[in-house]
Order: sequence, then structure tokens, then C-alpha cells
Amino acid sequence: MELMLCNHSSYPRIGDDPDRQLLRRTIAQYDKGEKTEEAVRAAQDRMTELALAEQTEAGLDLVTDGQIRWADPISHLAGKLSGVRVNGLLRFFDTNFYFRQPVVQGRPERREPLLLEEFRFAQEKSARPVKAVLTGPYTLARYSVDENGGSGGFDEMLEGYTAALAAEIAALAAGGAAVIQIEEPALLSYIDDFPRFERCLTALAMNKDSSQLALAVYFGDPAAVYDQLQTLPVDILGLDFTYSPGLVDRVASSGTARTLMLGLVDGRNTRLEDPAATARQLEKLARGAGLNRAYLSPSCGLEYLPRDRARQKLRQLAVIRNTFLGSLS
Amino acid sequence: MSRAKLQGLGIDLPLFPVTSVGSFPKPDFLLKARAEYANNRIRRGALEKAERQATEFWIRKQEELGVDVLVDGEMYRGDMVAYFAENLEGFEEGGLVRSYGNRYYQKPIISDEIHWDEPITLEWWKYARGITKKPLKGMLTGPYTIMDWSFIEYYPDRRTACLALAKELRNEVEALVEEGAKIIQIDEPAISVRPEELPVAIEAMHIMTDGLPAYFISHICYGDFEKIYPGLLDLPVDNFDLEMSNSGLDMLELFKRSSYTKDISFGVVDSHSHEIENDRIVEQRLRQALEVIPKEAIWVDPDCGLKTRTVDEAIAKMQAVVNAARVLRKNSDE
Repeated sequence: MELMLCNHSSYPRIGDDPDRQLLRRTIAQYDKGEKTEEAVRAAQDRMTELALAEQTEAGLDLVTDGQIRWADPISHLAGKLSGVRVNGLLRFFDTNFYFRQPVVQGRPERREPLLLEEFRFAQEKSARPVKAVLTGPYTLARYSVDENGGSGGFDEMLEGYTAALAAEIAALAAGGAAVIQIEEPALLSYIDDFPRFERCLTALAMNKDSSQLALAVYFGDPAAVYDQLQTLPVDILGLDFTYSPGLVDRVASSGTARTLMLGLVDGRNTRLEDPAATARQLEKLARGAGLNRAYLSPSCGLEYLPRDRARQKLRQLAVIRNTFLGSLS
Repeated sequence: MSRAKLQGLGIDLPLFPVTSVGSFPKPDFLLKARAEYANNRIRRGALEKAERQATEFWIRKQEELGVDVLVDGEMYRGDMVAYFAENLEGFEEGGLVRSYGNRYYQKPIISDEIHWDEPITLEWWKYARGITKKPLKGMLTGPYTIMDWSFIEYYPDRRTACLALAKELRNEVEALVEEGAKIIQIDEPAISVRPEELPVAIEAMHIMTDGLPAYFISHICYGDFEKIYPGLLDLPVDNFDLEMSNSGLDMLELFKRSSYTKDISFGVVDSHSHEIENDRIVEQRLRQALEVIPKEAIWVDPDCGLKTRTVDEAIAKMQAVVNAARVLRKNSDE
């Protein structure tokens, strides 16, 4: 089996040394009127370059920009759309991270590119291919407040977000993104709503052109919806294995029609995975599901970990791969 | 209603008692002292002197404003979880992780068996009590939240870690009670994170409070309250301190559907906005509360700790809270 290593999505934008606290410092100074927007952008550029370098140094085959510029996974996208204003704080799933909640007051519409410039910057600075990552329309809609007053309610909001993100996917594909990842953690809290979700994904997939489209679900157990996920028009399916001790067996026995992104390394806890134990899980998956090609990744974005531990987790991916390949030879 | 319990403890409060959630912003002189201490430019004693000075500043400010139940302002704390982790055995310091926007905290790692050696907050409570005659809350972070906001490496699962913390933190509550604390707030902002774990949080709170002669408050914020209500009413405390204004008072709808049976510290100003609420808006929020909750059960405060505001913003927000409570008290008298 060809096993590639990739980052999931986010990466810490702070560290313990002063160089890696540049962005925090600059934003704090900007808030006091002591720095300009250009200075904040320069700090974001610098931290993005550091995130890319650390992923490359860890030996990843596919990296991300670390979402360094994102205030949070929801408002960074929704807040750029017309018809949407950003409101107070709300907890992001079961993490201790908080996002600004969008309030939809009209149809969400994309007036300008959302992530294209960020992607271009990262690709230009990276020695490895960069995966573009977007929070999906279903998760955006589930975390938004509908104040539109129209009769369409949630569906109208969802349709607006889907159209906006479909346009962004077209732009990213035209901009050279080899892999575009849609993050949809909210699906696992609403698995009965799969038909509606499927319609969104189908609309997004129509715009992917020659890019590979990845869907990442996490912060929950995907076992109950695994067969349905296999029917979606995506090329890569990312799964979080940390919520479900039985998921390895489930995937091994069911197989896959998609390339899998195996989130076997816990992106939420500092405890490092035992390479031998994780390699055994990989063997089971490779043999049982008949995998020819897969990605090994953290279970979710790494921003929930301190930077030193996030870096260790990435390095551990390579250790696990070596152990796995060693066990095959 | 727990007014009788408060009176039994010797505490007589006006209608709509004003309090605050716990933290206030650190004045510039303390921020400077903390930075100097971090860079080994001043000694521990000099930092503690600045912390005491800042505590006195906030005690006086609360008295001037007319706050009824005071807090020490947490001038000695960096973060509400890291502070306890630093003072309990079994934790190691973790690196910085982001909580929101440009805010970060040091998330601790539970790497060994947890053990409480000596009081953590008591000396600060005693210091603050020594400089005011007003009622003063004892303040600590609850076991569920400390567990949820830590990385767990030592214990096999979350429940075991949470109950181990509760058993040790009970010593802190007992120390406060023994010293005379009558109102103790145990903050559990993480309690709504995993609704399926609410029984664990309740079990832990029983360990913390059962049999102790104090009026207990629990601060809860920024979560999916709908998923844990009304089950939350089984948490063995007298008063829930809730973030109401940030969520557009939507919890009142829940209370209409299923009766709210405890006292409430009703958050009437947004702690994470620079904007200072108009007095009339704050009054209006309180009037909406009165439509659902009896006046005798309502305390008034900000949504959450004010440490992320500037000193001036925090004072202005507290003033708005006090003003609204005064208007409603006056109207109740008429």
C-alpha cells in the first residue's frame, strides 16, 4: 500500500518562543492602534511560512497553510459573505475553542474570493503540494443563526452557503489546488439529515474540475454513516478514528471506494501514539479493506495542541509509516 | 429560592444583588510586574505586592460601584484552569493553545496522580476579606472543567480523571468554609460540552459540596445549554451564574418550557464586547428575566469574567449592571 502523510487542516499559530508569538504580539499591538493591517498580514505570512516549514521538516507529502489567518473555522468564511454578519462567541463542538457565530440576514453571497489568495501564498512558499481547506456549507449553516425572515429557513441558508463555496472551489481549482478538502464535522451530529447533506456535496463536486475533492468528517463516530459516505462524489474521505474503537474493524470489513485519509493520530490529546500499535491498525486496514493508497493524518486540525506537541504528532506520522512499512517487509 | 439559606448563613442581600463572575482586568502596573517577573527582573515578593495592590484596587472599585457580593478579581491567576493545575500535584504545564480570536491559554497536561497538598485560593480570599466588610465569594474552577480543559495522559478515561479532581478539590472547598466563606462559586463553563457526561459532572459536584454549610454558585457559559437542561437542575448548587445576554436571552424560552428552580446570577452585559451597554438595554434584559423567574431568585452580573476588557470597560460594564439593579429595586419598592 502506498501510504502518504498529510496534515489535516489547522496548525498552531503560536509557540513558546518569541519568534512564534509574532502574530499574537502584532494583533495585540494592532488592537491598540500601534500596528497597521499590513503589519498583521506580514506576521500572518511569516507564521504561515513557519507552519509550512515545520510540516515539510516532519516529512509530510501534503501540507496545508495551517489556517494561520483564520479567526475561527466558521466566521473566517461566513464573515466574508454578504448577507451575513458575525455575532457573539459559541463553543466549537466539544473543544475549548470558541468561534464567532454568523447571523444570516439575507442570502449568503460570495462577492470576492474567500481563500484563493491565502492558497496562492502558501503554494508559492511551500516545497510540498498544499491542500486547500474549506469549512463546508452544512457545518456553516448548522452553526449560523437564521434572521433572514424568509420562508426558506435553514434550506435557504444552506443553499446560499453551498453556492458561495461552490464558486470558491471553482476558483481554487482554477488556481491550481490539487486537493481541496471540505470539512464537515457537523454531519456526524445530524446523520439523519444525510440526503440534504448529499445534495450540498454533489453541488460542490460539480465545480472541482481536475482537483481532487476530499471530505473530512471528525469530532464524532462516522461508523453509522460510513456506507453512505462511500456514495458521495468525492475522491478522498477523511475519518476521525479517535471517537470509535470499532471503526478500524468497520472500515476493514466494509472496504472503500474512495482514497481514505486515516485520522489515526489523535489531534486532540498530547499522548503520543504507540507506533507499533498504530502500524497494526494500518495493517488491518490495508489487508481488510484492500487499500492500495491512503493518507495517514491527524484526526482533526492540530490547533488544539501546543505547538511542540503538534510538531511531535506530525513527526510521529513518519515514525508510524516507517514502522508500518517495516512490518510489511 | 435560597434566600432563607443565605439568611441562615447570616447573609442579608437586597433584591437583585449585584455580583460579578470572578475575573477583572489586570491594571497596567500588574501587567508590567507579571512581565518583569516572567523575565526574571523582579522577585516573587514584588509580584505578590503588585497582585495585592491590584486586588485592593478592585475591592475598592466594587465597593464604590455598589456591588453587593464581591470577588477578589483573580489578580493572581493567569488562566482559570492553568492556575489550579500549577498548584495541584499531578499536572505538568502544557504549551499555549488558542481559545478564541487572539486569546491563548496554557493547557495543562495530567501526567501523574492528582493530589491537593495545601490551600490554593485561601490566602487570597483571606486577604480580600480583610479589606472589605461586604460579602465575598470564594472562587474555584470545578473538576469537570479542569478535566475537560486539560490533556489527560495519566488516567484511563475522563470520568476517572474528573472524580479524582473532585475528591482533591473538596479539600479546597472545606478550607474556604472552615475559614468562614459563606458563598462559594465553583465554575463549570465546560459542563455543557458533552451532554452525555452531565451525570459525571453532577457526581463530581456532589463530592465537592455535599454536607458543607455554604451557598454554592456555579458559573456556566458559552455552550449548548439546551442539550443539558433541565437535567442540569440536578447539579447540587443553589445558583447558576449564566451567560444570558450573549445568547439573546434565549435560555429564558427553555425556562418557560421547563420551570427554572434555582437562583440565577443573570448575565446582563456581554463580557467579550468592547461596547458598553446602554442602561436601558440592561434594564430591559432584567425585565425579561422577571417575566420568567421570581424576583427573589435573581442576582445580576456580567455574562462572564471581565478580564478580557480594559479596566475602564470593565468598570463601565459593572456600572451598567449596578444601575439596572437599582432601577428595578426602586420599582419593586413602589
